[in-house]
Amino acid sequence: MSASEHERAPVDVGSTLAAMSQATSKVQVFRYSAATWNTHRIHYDKDYAVAEGYPDVLVQSHLHGALLARYCTDWAGEEGRLISLGLRVRRFALAGETLNVVGVISAVALAGERARVTLDLAETRGSDGEVCVTASASVEIPASRLAGDAGGGPG
Amino acid sequence: MAIDGALIAGLQAQVGVEHVELLGEISAEMIGRYAAAVGESNPLYSDAAYARSRGYADVVAPPNLLAAVINWGPGAPYDRLRDDGTEAEKHLPGVPSQGVRVMGGGEEMTFTRPVVAGAVVTRSTVLAEVGERSGTQGPMLVLRYSDHYRDGAGAVLMESVRTVLLR
Repeated sequence: MSASEHERAPVDVGSTLAAMSQATSKVQVFRYSAATWNTHRIHYDKDYAVAEGYPDVLVQSHLHGALLARYCTDWAGEEGRLISLGLRVRRFALAGETLNVVGVISAVALAGERARVTLDLAETRGSDGEVCVTASASVEIPASRLAGDAGGGPG
Repeated sequence: MAIDGALIAGLQAQVGVEHVELLGEISAEMIGRYAAAVGESNPLYSDAAYARSRGYADVVAPPNLLAAVINWGPGAPYDRLRDDGTEAEKHLPGVPSQGVRVMGGGEEMTFTRPVVAGAVVTRSTVLAEVGERSGTQGPMLVLRYSDHYRDGAGAVLMESVRTVLLR
């Protein structure tokens, strides 16, 4: 879903937002380690990862966080802002795994021309549907998005 | 070293002690590389002209960049890396570099101000809380570290509260 489609979707407590799917790769995990100067072998050395009890190298916890942040900022759009993100990594994801992120609106608070929306987020592994990360985010958006302007779209 | 009275006393002595570190300047190149690694397509992170059209002086960092960088310096010589590739001398205040198992227990980030390229960032770290918990594999300590990232003017850019589990 594009940012403009997000901005047409209704903002109601209990609404499930459109999911985001991200295919990770060993190249991505390597680049992320390089960009963050993360030298931990668990992210690039399969022999080491196997010795630690994993089938292969792992996605970094901060890369999980970055994907969740991206999901929130995409939903917030140009006029919105990510205020906070709290997350807990519950299961590992192997580099190469497809990660699916989905959010549910759990609270909406109006403050003048802005609205603060709480999103409950889950990131699951595409291979088996297991939850890798649970998170809660606070996102500020223009209050005009609460007006139910569905832009002529369904529902 | 196991979870014992000496370790707990050492940690409690660190509670509230502030450790300040100058991380350096956040460059547009660093931001661009981080955004590319994540797979971001938001032009705010890569297109200075677009960022200026949105009211920023330069490109803006993705929200969790500051928290994600593991090492802000050049890195230790190879003979001072652990078997797992991490630095032997980089450790959390109060936590010994060997003998305990350190696990991440979650992170809560609050993004107060945008991090714009050119910002010179300082981080202060405080061990805020030491808790004990009995786990299935013996005693466990639950530590909460509070990191504040500030710009050159001292304004808070971001706060991160990390939960760290020791076993």
